[in-house]
Amino acid sequence: MIGYYQQGMNESNSSSCVIDVKKLEASYGKGRECTQALKGICFQVHRGECVGFIGANGAGKSTTLKILMGFRFPDKGEVQVFGRSVGNPESRERIGYLPEVALYYPFMKARELLSLYGGLGGLSRSELQERIPLVLARVGLGGKENDLLKSFSKGMQQRLGIAQSLITEPELLIYDELSSGLDPLGRFELRELLKDLKQQGRTIFFSSHELGEVESLCDRVIMIHQGEILRDAPLSTLLEECGDRSLEAFYIQTLQQQHKGA
Amino acid sequence: MKIVSTLSVARTVWLEALRRRDIYAIVIISCVLMAVVMGLDFFHLEGLNKFYREFALKFMSTATAITVIVLSARQLPREFENRTIYPLLARPLSRFEFLLGKFLGVWLTALFCFGLFMVVFLLGMAYLQTNLQWAVFLQYLYLQTMMMGVLAAMGFVLSMLCNIDAAIAFGSLLFLFGSTMASMMNTVYELSTPVAQWMLIGLTWFIPQLFLFDLSEKTVHADIWPPVSFEVMAALTLYALLFITVYFTGALLLFRRKGL
Repeated sequence: MIGYYQQGMNESNSSSCVIDVKKLEASYGKGRECTQALKGICFQVHRGECVGFIGANGAGKSTTLKILMGFRFPDKGEVQVFGRSVGNPESRERIGYLPEVALYYPFMKARELLSLYGGLGGLSRSELQERIPLVLARVGLGGKENDLLKSFSKGMQQRLGIAQSLITEPELLIYDELSSGLDPLGRFELRELLKDLKQQGRTIFFSSHELGEVESLCDRVIMIHQGEILRDAPLSTLLEECGDRSLEAFYIQTLQQQHKGA
Repeated sequence: MKIVSTLSVARTVWLEALRRRDIYAIVIISCVLMAVVMGLDFFHLEGLNKFYREFALKFMSTATAITVIVLSARQLPREFENRTIYPLLARPLSRFEFLLGKFLGVWLTALFCFGLFMVVFLLGMAYLQTNLQWAVFLQYLYLQTMMMGVLAAMGFVLSMLCNIDAAIAFGSLLFLFGSTMASMMNTVYELSTPVAQWMLIGLTWFIPQLFLFDLSEKTVHADIWPPVSFEVMAALTLYALLFITVYFTGALLLFRRKGL
């Protein structure tokens, strides 16, 4: 594996390290049915970076993100976000998270939901009043503040999910399957939004199957396969390796090599 | 611990109960009871009047208890099933604060339901021009409040041990056992074999004796019953708090270990 972690970049950038994953192992099930989901993975994400986390279904992307958020517990290894252990709720103070699939309380209005999440994130009432219309407009849900969420389509729910992740203006955004459920226009708007956030210096770490999206946004790509990190390198390096074709070409080529090797 | 965060979670439970019309169903049942009151007054029979009051209090207590069990048993499994828990726990909110918020929300919602029932009951009493011994009635309300807390905590621990349907069924059975059969334990104990006696002693440690919180008969026959002494009320409060703490801690330990 050629990776930032092994190359020692963590040492030079340790003060700017936002996510630090060390020898992370996780499994599902017990006894004979035990499946090793993560096999000692290591990586870091630094302040201001936009990192794409790619891999096939079942590669271990969502498991990694769940551990980063403290939803799952690793079997072994250490994970720190902003220098704090992920078991500590304070580690999530500066994170905006979008789950892979989530429904939002259908009995709530969009404004109430954002008030709930913003309030939990420590925003005052006046801050919430100011931010809610802005963040809803930013994700294309302007004027929907008082609509009940049960009337929202899947795409609108995903937009609302992005809005809730941005309400506290977090420094780090962790998105699991970024554009899932969005139509082409929604994807385009989301890409533009993330480019803006990236320009503002936010750190973005997301998983996606949309490799074009990863290619257009990311500085660096981490590729995971069967619980192991295959590659962790700048996007330009990966593109060079496949003759400057595309990330998709690199991805397919790498996986084919893996299958041949196996 | 952040109280504001805990109360925000509690508010979601309250909003859900209000907007999913669970509470309206309780109001409708209350109105039906009111109609029964009017029907009973037609006969002008004192015995029936007392029967109504006793029945109404027991019915309202049971209906609220079932509401508490259903509400508490479905909170966590629904959060897991709909994945609404992820964006919540992605905030700086500990699992303890989350669970406490849910517990308080269920307890407060149950008290609101019970409050509605009591308004209906008092309207019925006024309609029948029946005097109420307020001291005993207030003690009845207080002990019922404590019982709702015990049932809410029990619902949460059961929902962490089994699925929603099973948790509701077990919770209802434990409520029925604790509020009826448990009062016969002394008699049964005398007639049991030594092994069965040990089992009965074990049961008394795990299943709360809910009949102790029921002062409905004393409320109805308050003309012959004095209010319960302070010492007994204090002992019952400690008893309820003990069960709430044990059940809540059990639910928290299971919830904290659960991978989402």
